[in-house]
Amino acid sequence: MPAIFPRWINQFPLALALGFPVVVLTVIGSVWYWASPKYTDVGYQPEQPVPFSHRLHAGEMGLDCRYCHNTVDRAAHAAIPPTQTCMNCHKLVKPDSEKLALVRQSAETGESIPWNRVHMLPDYAFFDHAPHVAAGVGCNECHGRIDQMDVVTQNQPLSMSWCLDCHRDFEPRLRPLDEVTNLGWNGFYDPRSDLNRERPVDELEPPLHCSGCHR
Amino acid sequence: MRTLTISIARGLLALSAVAACHGDVSDKPPVHIIQNMDFQQRFDAQEASPLFADGRAMRPPVPGTVAVGSLRDDDHLYAGRGLDGQFVDELPAAIKLNEQFLRRGQQRFNIYCAPCHDLSGSGEGVVVQRGMLRPPAFNDARLVSEPLGYFFDVVSNGIRNMPSYADQIPVHDRWAIVAYVRTLQRAEYATREQVPQLAAKQLGWDTQAQP
Repeated sequence: MPAIFPRWINQFPLALALGFPVVVLTVIGSVWYWASPKYTDVGYQPEQPVPFSHRLHAGEMGLDCRYCHNTVDRAAHAAIPPTQTCMNCHKLVKPDSEKLALVRQSAETGESIPWNRVHMLPDYAFFDHAPHVAAGVGCNECHGRIDQMDVVTQNQPLSMSWCLDCHRDFEPRLRPLDEVTNLGWNGFYDPRSDLNRERPVDELEPPLHCSGCHR
Repeated sequence: MRTLTISIARGLLALSAVAACHGDVSDKPPVHIIQNMDFQQRFDAQEASPLFADGRAMRPPVPGTVAVGSLRDDDHLYAGRGLDGQFVDELPAAIKLNEQFLRRGQQRFNIYCAPCHDLSGSGEGVVVQRGMLRPPAFNDARLVSEPLGYFFDVVSNGIRNMPSYADQIPVHDRWAIVAYVRTLQRAEYATREQVPQLAAKQLGWDTQAQP
C-alpha cells in the first residue's frame, strides 16, 4: 500500500512539540507586555491647545496644585481650572504673549479652552479625589512629578491592580497632611505617630470590595 | 523547518521595530482592550455635550433663581457686613476661632494668596516678581486699621487689579484666610511681652530678662 503522507511530515511532531510552547510563550509574553496599562496608558502626553507648563508654574514658581485644581480636596473631580483662574494673573502678567492668545480669547468670548484630558479612568470606575487627599496621599504618588513636566504625561497606569496595590498596603504611601502637594517630598513618615491626623490610621479603610469603585 | 524558523525570526524582528517599551511617551490616546462601558452615555464633570450651544455638559444656574439653602441672607457671614451695612470687625458667630482655624487659614493663604502677596504678606510674591502690580503690604498702616469685613470683601469681590477669589475659595475658608491675615499683621506689631508664655518657652526666649 503506498504511503498517504510524504516523509517530511515525520518532522511535524518534533517541530510542534518544540515550536508550540515557544509560540504560546511568545503570544502570552507579548500580550503581557504590550497589552498592559503600563504600556498602553503610561506615557500618554497629548498636545494641549495652550502650551501651559507645569514646570514653570508649579515647579519654578512654586504655585500650589490647589490654586488651580481647587476642588481636589472637597470633590470627586479635580477640576481643570476655568479661564478666569488663568486670567487672575495673566491679565497683567505677559498680557501680550502669543502663547496665551487662546486664553485671552476664551476670557473674552466665554468659550471653554478645549483642554485634552490626560488622566482618565473608564466610566465604569468611580474615583473620588477628596478622601485620597484627606488621607495624605501625595499628588505625585499617582501623577508623578508634574512640577517637572512641561507637558503633562501620564506617569502611572491607573489600572485596577495598581489601585488595589495601594488599597491593600496604603501606609507606606501616606505622607504628612501638609506635604500632600509637595511633589518633591521624600521623608520618612510614620502615620501612626502623627498627632496632626484627626482620623487615626486604623480608621482608614480604602475599599477593597467591588462596589468601592464600581458604582 | 529552517525557513520557517527564519521567517518567524524575521517577523519578530519586524514587530520589535514597531513596538515600543514601557514608559515611552506618545500623544496617542491610551488603548483599552475591553471597550465595554468605557465611555458611557452619561455626562461627567467638565465633559463636552452636543446638546447645548456652548458645548458644555455642566450648566450654570438659571439667572434669577436661588437653590434651596443658597439664599445667603446672612450678611455677616457672606458679605462681611453688619446690620448697618458697614464692615464688621469680628468673625461670624458660626465660626470658632481656635488654632485649627488659624492653621487652616495659613494653609489656604499659602495656596491662594502667597503667589502675589508672598508668605509673609509683604506683597513681593513670585507673580509680582514676574510682572503683576505689587499689592500693598499687610503691615501698611491703612490696612492694619481696616476691619475684618474689609478683607473678606476684598477676597470675595476683588479690588483694583486683584480679581475675585469667590469662585476658588469657599466662604468658611475665606474667613480663615482673613483671620490669618490679621495674624500676619499682628506678628509685625506684637511686642515681646505679648507673646504667650508657652510659645516663648518653646522658642527658647528668656521672658524674665529685660531688654
